[in-house]
Amino acid sequence: MTPYLCRVWRLRYFWLALVRMDLRSRYRRSMLGVGWSLLHPIAMTGVLCVVFSTIFQADVRSYAPFLLAGLITWNYLVTVLNQGCQCFFQAESYIRQYPAPLAIYPLRATLGAAIHFLLGLLVVLGLVWALQGFGNLLALVSLLPTLALLFLLGWSLAVCMGVVNVMFQDTQHLTEVMIQILFYVTPIIYPADLLRARHLDWFVAINPVAIFLELIRGPILEGVVPSPATLAMGAATAAAAAVVAALTLCKAEGKLIFYL
Amino acid sequence: MSLVELEDVGLVFRVRRCGRVSLKEYLLHGLFRPAKKTTFEVRALEGIDLRINEGDRIGVIGHNGAGKSTLLKLLAGIYPPTTGRRRVRGRISSLFEIGLGFEHDASGWENIAYRGYLQGETPKSVRQKMQAIAEFSELGEFLDMPVRYYSAGMMVRLAFSIATAIEPDILLVDEVLSAGDQSFQAKARERIGSLMSSARAVVVVSHELEALARLCDRVLWLDHGRVRRFGPKEEVIAAYAQPAARPQRSAA
Repeated sequence: MTPYLCRVWRLRYFWLALVRMDLRSRYRRSMLGVGWSLLHPIAMTGVLCVVFSTIFQADVRSYAPFLLAGLITWNYLVTVLNQGCQCFFQAESYIRQYPAPLAIYPLRATLGAAIHFLLGLLVVLGLVWALQGFGNLLALVSLLPTLALLFLLGWSLAVCMGVVNVMFQDTQHLTEVMIQILFYVTPIIYPADLLRARHLDWFVAINPVAIFLELIRGPILEGVVPSPATLAMGAATAAAAAVVAALTLCKAEGKLIFYL
Repeated sequence: MSLVELEDVGLVFRVRRCGRVSLKEYLLHGLFRPAKKTTFEVRALEGIDLRINEGDRIGVIGHNGAGKSTLLKLLAGIYPPTTGRRRVRGRISSLFEIGLGFEHDASGWENIAYRGYLQGETPKSVRQKMQAIAEFSELGEFLDMPVRYYSAGMMVRLAFSIATAIEPDILLVDEVLSAGDQSFQAKARERIGSLMSSARAVVVVSHELEALARLCDRVLWLDHGRVRRFGPKEEVIAAYAQPAARPQRSAA
């Protein structure tokens, strides 16, 4: 395990350079640069704010940051899943030429998505600061372990999706369907209390995405440090994903090339 | 001590009968039908024993599909052996499929860096070699352009220049003796010649028997994934060139 990670680390210049290139080509293709690629969650937030404040009389000042925080977190996970599916195909010619550890290709996808996520998070922080100010700066520090866990979760998911998608070509398609369903049953555009009020607590509790949404939103929007129990749930989710990813890689390392 | 050791190595490819399998199909088959064998096996290499020592210059010959390129990829660590053992001491550099593996949206310069990093270079060492690589490729200001707009020949030039810029312990070469246009080919030959004299061990795959006779000391003749003959170059090449050496079975 450790020697494997050492090999990944030794190739850091390679994957860091590719991440830098990915981000540059993503932001270069438009005059708005970074703003352009954040346009999707921001526009969606705008539209939903108008809709919800008109129909449900939601308070825009609290709803907008709530929604944006949810959307960028969700988008990070979706991007990781989708790009994870493609990562080994994209790297096929490298894989055919150099015996580099496979984990670097999902890492490339995850790092790109993570940086994008952080940019979105900055927008959320700015929005909250402008609309209501921060009551508890200490709570923001509790975001750090959450971000580390999200990164680990993302990398693990990308590894698993990548390997499975090489084995079974329709994985990405099925994943897209699942993502669509998951979007509606996860408290992204509506608060989790709505589910809780209908005695669907268990439904929120077993949804790993809901846990991470709570870990992200709590400190930023309400200035609350998440409870150890929630944090432990998040850690357990990420750890479980990491174990599955490690086992998958163990199986796939070296053999994946036969299926490409 | 040998640099590379293959001990009774075999490699079996599992090929799917009908391309890729979908997850849907896989689950349905698993649930409702007894598992049917959907793959068949190709024995690409069988019972290979090979020791590559300091100073060895080994040529590999054989008909199409005999397993020459597969052997090189196995030596390079890209294919894991299905059976047997592979041991390597030293840094391996390989020249095969070199026209592939570019980031098409990045410029030539950037691709030099990416490839360099993948070969284990650092930003510092890449910067030192950058100029030499650029000069050797003779691509000039094209290097500022995205690789997307390169012709096939230009890509080969760039790839070859990068791949041969590092000093490997063990050099694996697959048929790149014909890279680029006439003038570049001459240069490439020269570069390979000097690399081969500086590398501690070399394995070359080629169909050009004359070139092999010039470059190598020993020749390995592969036939259907097995070693047909391995020994001094004159002996093996002479045996290979005889009409009787044609493959008995059609290439698998």
